[in-house]
Amino acid sequence: MFGWRGRVLRVDLTDETIAVESVDPQMARDFIGGRGWAIKYLYDEMDPKVDPLAPDNKLIFATGPLTATPAPTGNRYMVITKSPLTGALSCSNSGGTFPTQMKQAGFDLLIIEGAAKQPVYLWVHDGEVEIRPAQHLWGKNVPQTEVMLLAETDPKAKVACIGPAGERLVKIAAIMNDKHRAAARSGVGAVMGSKKLKAVVARGTKKVALARPDEMRELSGQVRAEVNRDVKKGSALREYGTAYVPEVTNEMGILPTRNFQTGRFEGTEKISGHVLKKKYLRRPKACYGCPIACGRDTEVDDPKYGGEGEGPEYETIAALGSSCGIDNLAAVTKANYLCNELGLDTISMGVTISCAMEMFEKGILTESEAGRVLRFGDADAVIALIEATAYRRGFGDALAEGSHRLASKYGHPELSITAKKLELPGYDPRGSKGMGLLYATSNIGASHMAGDVAYMEVFGVPEKLDPLAIEGKPAYTKHFEDIFAIVDAAGLCVFLAIRYLFDQDRRVNPTRLTALLNHATGAGYTVSSLLEAGDRIYTLERMFLLGAGLTKSDDTLPRRMLEEPLPEGPAKGHIVELDQMLPEFYRLRGWDEDGVPTNAKRAELGLAC
Amino acid sequence: MRPVGMEGWLEGALPVMQIRVKLFATFREHLPPEAEGGVYEVTVPAGSRAGEVLLRLGVPAGTPGVVVIMIDGRHCPADRILQEGDVLSAFPAIAGG
Repeated sequence: MFGWRGRVLRVDLTDETIAVESVDPQMARDFIGGRGWAIKYLYDEMDPKVDPLAPDNKLIFATGPLTATPAPTGNRYMVITKSPLTGALSCSNSGGTFPTQMKQAGFDLLIIEGAAKQPVYLWVHDGEVEIRPAQHLWGKNVPQTEVMLLAETDPKAKVACIGPAGERLVKIAAIMNDKHRAAARSGVGAVMGSKKLKAVVARGTKKVALARPDEMRELSGQVRAEVNRDVKKGSALREYGTAYVPEVTNEMGILPTRNFQTGRFEGTEKISGHVLKKKYLRRPKACYGCPIACGRDTEVDDPKYGGEGEGPEYETIAALGSSCGIDNLAAVTKANYLCNELGLDTISMGVTISCAMEMFEKGILTESEAGRVLRFGDADAVIALIEATAYRRGFGDALAEGSHRLASKYGHPELSITAKKLELPGYDPRGSKGMGLLYATSNIGASHMAGDVAYMEVFGVPEKLDPLAIEGKPAYTKHFEDIFAIVDAAGLCVFLAIRYLFDQDRRVNPTRLTALLNHATGAGYTVSSLLEAGDRIYTLERMFLLGAGLTKSDDTLPRRMLEEPLPEGPAKGHIVELDQMLPEFYRLRGWDEDGVPTNAKRAELGLAC
Repeated sequence: MRPVGMEGWLEGALPVMQIRVKLFATFREHLPPEAEGGVYEVTVPAGSRAGEVLLRLGVPAGTPGVVVIMIDGRHCPADRILQEGDVLSAFPAIAGG
């Protein structure tokens, strides 16, 4: 095979067995790779009603056909499993260099089954696989774990690991790689912790075989040249990372503020990208093979919030900053470092804390229950609660369950700003309605990365859509969900892909991405067969969700978004008219009125049961 | 393109109006030193268009697809006519996460 390695590594931690399997070429092509292959394996092999923290849940690390190739940003992997936070699917994406090492070690997919009796780690190096004891690593934070593992494997290896949060089955725990990159959402870290798997260490030197290497290198080189030309003109992502985005969303009135009570934050100027650049930035940082370099290598020199690491990026500034009413960027950056060190999803952590803050301010949660006074704007509380959550100490034990269970425990689930129990990202959907439909229909719950319609509603890429209109949004949401599935499955980063590998017009077709995939794999995709593969992946994920017991009633948004108009800003007075968009979305997807894919649709996609 | 600048734009007895300008991300460097807290309060000829003001500040609003323009937080085309008290903002057309 070309592009793909055609090899799946299956490790059973209960039996301590290791197997390498070949891959069906038809399946490979139909599901593209990465996220697509992973759902196919999960759907075929696993009962969707499985308890996510039981040994029967499978944890899949999935690279794509373009991972570890000359394709720019060919460096991504995804973590796919059933989520202990949501009960739906987890599809968490991360970059850095670990994915490339895993693919170069010889495997497209790593399927982890069962659970070890004692902590272990996997050492995967150029086709060899070992299950090694990890008792001495258990309890260590992410940076400590990495240092120790590199010393006992290979200094050039890359590590994906959990911190204390994943070990304690915190439902918002992340899997960190390259120390500061995160497969963060949906509690994937807790699944890894439930298997007593502390880390996967990968080192690979085998180059990926390509079907048409010359064409691959030429097209990749062309794209890199275009990116470099744009960066020279002045790239916001290179100069500021995504940290400039609060300025934009605040102006639009959709920056999550005080648990999404409003969309304008008076402290925005103090927590935005230009402050990060001026005060804390050491240098921009790129993932392997990326010409953009949106990462931030940073350091904070401050008596209370001092530290170093990477980030923060936009979502973190929204969740741990404006949503908590924090206007101190040093504190937000420190909070980010802590989440990375302890292995926590910054979005869910921030929005869970802001949920607790709103409950405290409304007298629903007492000082005795919270262990402290808990008001919006209290940066010290945010820092303290992050640690408490990772270690499940005191009130942190309740936060560790995510905002839905937290708010339900105190009788006010409506104050948990989630969809399918996953905390909303940094775009208030009342002022960005396509995002509202996306949050309600994404197969992992409220995610901006399941199909970021904000590209068009907020950033005007490739073209501008009116964020307050609902007309046409079902079609755009479906299209973005399908194309993001393709990019995820291919193993690329969306920042580069959407701008440089898709047609820059309203139809947003994957013309250049199709060419790149064909040069790598020789699989003969057309634009339409590639789009169909995206639809196929999305639909099979949906079928998994239905099997897990989710229904149309889960395709919804927090009551705040459906019933409480935004109180100020350009989108003042707006709610999300989800009931006016959802039926058309189901129809366009070929699902019935209950959101179930019809037999005809399944047959069309080759998914008939 | 070299910014034409704001001096000399207001000549004679033209009717004028006050607007506020915010420039985000890499366009921030085009804000003059007198802008405070990221907001530039400026007098412009009545009836000026969004793109004209931006071009005078050095923002490449003349090239389609490069600049996203908003008035009071709502997206608009470069040829939109400004009104007294408008908050004009602009940022480069790329994306974030």
